[in-house]
Amino acid sequence: MRLSVLERLERTAAQFRDKTAYSDAVTSITFGEIEEKAKRLGSALAERVSPGSPVAVMGKRGVLTPVMFLGAVYAGCYYIPLDASQPESRLRDILSVLKPAILVADADTISAAGKLGFEGEIALADELFAHEISQERLDEISGAACLDDPLYVIFTSGSTGRPKGVITSMLSLMNYIDAYIEVMGITEADVLGNQSPLDYIAAIRDIYIPLFTGASMFIIPKECFVMPSELFKALNEHKVTSVGWSVSVFTIVAKMGVFDEAKPQYLKKICFSGSVMPCSILRIWQENLPDAKFVNQYGPTECTASCTYYEVKGMVEDGDVLPIGVPYRNYRVFLLKEDNTPAEAGEMGEICVAGQSLALGYYNDPELTAKSFIQNPLNSSYRELIYKTGDYGVLLPDGNLGYKGRKDRQIKHLGHRVELSEIEAAALRLESVSEACSMYLKEKELIYLFYTGAATVKEAAVHLRGLLPGFMVPRKLIKLDEMPKLANGKINMQALKELMK
Amino acid sequence: MKEQLLGVLEEIRPDLDWESEKQLIDGGVLDSFDIVSIVGALNDEFDIDIHVGNLVPENFNSIEGMMKLIEKLQQED
Repeated sequence: MRLSVLERLERTAAQFRDKTAYSDAVTSITFGEIEEKAKRLGSALAERVSPGSPVAVMGKRGVLTPVMFLGAVYAGCYYIPLDASQPESRLRDILSVLKPAILVADADTISAAGKLGFEGEIALADELFAHEISQERLDEISGAACLDDPLYVIFTSGSTGRPKGVITSMLSLMNYIDAYIEVMGITEADVLGNQSPLDYIAAIRDIYIPLFTGASMFIIPKECFVMPSELFKALNEHKVTSVGWSVSVFTIVAKMGVFDEAKPQYLKKICFSGSVMPCSILRIWQENLPDAKFVNQYGPTECTASCTYYEVKGMVEDGDVLPIGVPYRNYRVFLLKEDNTPAEAGEMGEICVAGQSLALGYYNDPELTAKSFIQNPLNSSYRELIYKTGDYGVLLPDGNLGYKGRKDRQIKHLGHRVELSEIEAAALRLESVSEACSMYLKEKELIYLFYTGAATVKEAAVHLRGLLPGFMVPRKLIKLDEMPKLANGKINMQALKELMK
Repeated sequence: MKEQLLGVLEEIRPDLDWESEKQLIDGGVLDSFDIVSIVGALNDEFDIDIHVGNLVPENFNSIEGMMKLIEKLQQED
């Protein structure tokens, strides 16, 4: 099998040499230029570090940052994307787990990189891009490279507070990207609109799909998401046809009435992930883009971004709950009950994943890796690792998986089993509630509901009484102006915990 | 009006020196969640209806821009 990420890039560059691969608000780069620059940077790195080393890359939100990643891959290394706008303490934590010998920064980020107390070499990307290509050395490196070598390490927040570095192999990445391309029907004619920060897992689609297909990718300026009226303008200017965004962006656009002003004329293929999509929001999108394909995607970073998908069929109703669908090609996804036996159809079980999509583990953390990636309890014949997601699912009668919330969010309240996500789902059925998070204060045996939206506390309470058994109705409803969020857009439950004190 | 506006904004982002910031949007100081909260709070506080067409950087880069926007929208009523 000779199909590494780099060989795919070169194949695409041979076919579409002068076509724009990536663009941002100020500049663009062709496939031919990506290949050349990545080889230059790779040649320079190969003189500094040996293959199989971690290379930290801190680039701005622009077209050259993914090229810096690919340069590290040409050097036979794996890269760790860092976002200079992240809190300094978090970046320091990541570097302390990673201990790389080299950090590549660009002109915009190099001063931030210099403040991290990093003891290795800090190299300026522009200087590395000026290095001669040593084709002989690159050939030697690629000849020795294996498809299951690590490609990148992406850090996610750990429940302990120390960031976890999830290591993904080149094979897992290619498997996921190919499966996603197939589901979304992406071709060379598509233009992707990137929303995810480039150091975040969701960006891997925007970075690699062009390299595998010849499609183009536009890095949407951050400001467009702050001033959403600019967003559709940018999408239309760049003729964006396909996006894979986090649910929170779809919500902001719908809530701010952006569709009243404009429509993204070219947008046809839409994927959302990261949290549960409220159907009231999805409906607004569907009504405005009746011909677009909408896909709900589910999965953790530990299984290469996503493991299941559901293509929305027909117009959703406000109270509907979207399934998370079926496994992507080459993903094994199944449900295990508490006693490690398989859940029957209709029975709830923990969503487990096996196969090529599993991460290689957590960087420099063999204990956590051993605890999280375990032998499949259903397989006593040979070694087969699985990852237990900590999410509950159920196999629905139509063959799709339904999402049933987080394992650790199930509580026992006054003798009853209560799923906090069920309370949230009920709250979200009220149109005037835009976001909801339910928490449990065990000391006082009190269920809290934090929510945002126009609904008054009284309205929300009356609404919940109409949907939930009495014991499940939160006795403490707190209306927030804004839901506290983590950098990845998910609700910051730690911050909500503080509010309960 | 300025005091009233500052009161609203400081509740949302107490970490900012609102009077000296002139590049709140273009400088990337505010994120999308800030804007959603600010728009909601200004609508309530000043009894206005900020429309998506008003969501351009010049209206939100500084408190002066926001005051101009509020005055404009109040006159339209």
